[in-house]
Amino acid sequence: MAADMKFAKTHEWIRPEAGGLATVGISAYAVEALTDLVFMQLPAVGRKVKAGESIGEIESVKAVSDMYAPVSGEIVEVNTALPGQLETLGKDPYGAGWIVRIRPDDQAEMGTLLDQAAYDALVKS
Amino acid sequence: MTARVLPVWWDDAADGPTNMAADELLAEEAERHGGLVVRIYGWSTPTVSLGGFQRLADAEGCDAIAGLPIVRRPSGGGAIIHGTDLTYAAAVPTPHPWGSTPQALYDAMHAAMAATLAEFGIAARLHLPSAADPPADAFLCFSRRSPGDLVTALPDDAGADASATFGSKIMGSAQRRLGTAVLQHGSLLLETCTAVGPAARHRGLADIAGGGSWGVPEVAGRWLDRVAAALEIVRDSQPQSFREGREAAIEDRAARFRDPRWTGRR
Repeated sequence: MAADMKFAKTHEWIRPEAGGLATVGISAYAVEALTDLVFMQLPAVGRKVKAGESIGEIESVKAVSDMYAPVSGEIVEVNTALPGQLETLGKDPYGAGWIVRIRPDDQAEMGTLLDQAAYDALVKS
Repeated sequence: MTARVLPVWWDDAADGPTNMAADELLAEEAERHGGLVVRIYGWSTPTVSLGGFQRLADAEGCDAIAGLPIVRRPSGGGAIIHGTDLTYAAAVPTPHPWGSTPQALYDAMHAAMAATLAEFGIAARLHLPSAADPPADAFLCFSRRSPGDLVTALPDDAGADASATFGSKIMGSAQRRLGTAVLQHGSLLLETCTAVGPAARHRGLADIAGGGSWGVPEVAGRWLDRVAAALEIVRDSQPQSFREGREAAIEDRAARFRDPRWTGRR
């Protein structure tokens, strides 16, 4: 995992990319906890979101979970292949299992999120 | 989590949108309370509740439930026919020990019911996956099996092989996992619902255990006592219904659940 990857307490990860963009996904811990994913609903490209706002939903056999924007910004790309191959989330949650790309309103907002060590401590607590 | 009691609200019957709206508010109440909260409620008419992402077309194509009102839950899982079940909603803040993973809250609520039913001489257990399981994506919740479902033995199971000995699902639950709270819907099937066609009928507790020594209030009360005891707290039954005093907020939210765009979202 990239050293500059950050995590939200709601289990989304975000990684800064070139051109002022950032990639967002959900953590391996969250994918494993949900088990047996069956459906995913993604946001529309161009949508403006606030940090903490739902950007989509993912359903496992017995639970529907919201996915939240870790930072405020504009959704510029969504991984449209993902809903058809949800197993990718389990196989490669930090790579091919990315969910959206976002153009953050303020890059500094990522600094308020958890680093890897803090996130690991959260999920072990 | 510092909550010392388990608040339980016993609500009278309402329609589907009202019940779903009240349950969303229950999730907010869990955050305020800082621990588990439970609402037990009824339905003003037999109603089908669809899982959060089930296809409405599947419901409309199911002749056995034709004519029944349909409401879409915020939670996942399969469709449930309410009217002859004990319906509950439970909610915990996400940091709660039972909020960390979906299975934790399922197992806690279902294991407590298994132990309660044992007090009444009814054998039930949490379902263990087997190759003989019906499909996990069957339209009706009680036609599905997944780990943690509460299953029981039927009189005509005698002589069946081990995997089918506990052949009847009598309690299922499903969740909506929000950022700060988890809402779990669940249903204990009390008796066969005759408002639906044979294809949608499932046997319930009364069909299995008869009308003997158990009663719904006793089962529900002891179940919730066990749930509370597992958290080393005590049940605190509320004197008023959950809906009382929240009528405006519930009606405001119920509008979404009455909206055909919500019901037909998939």
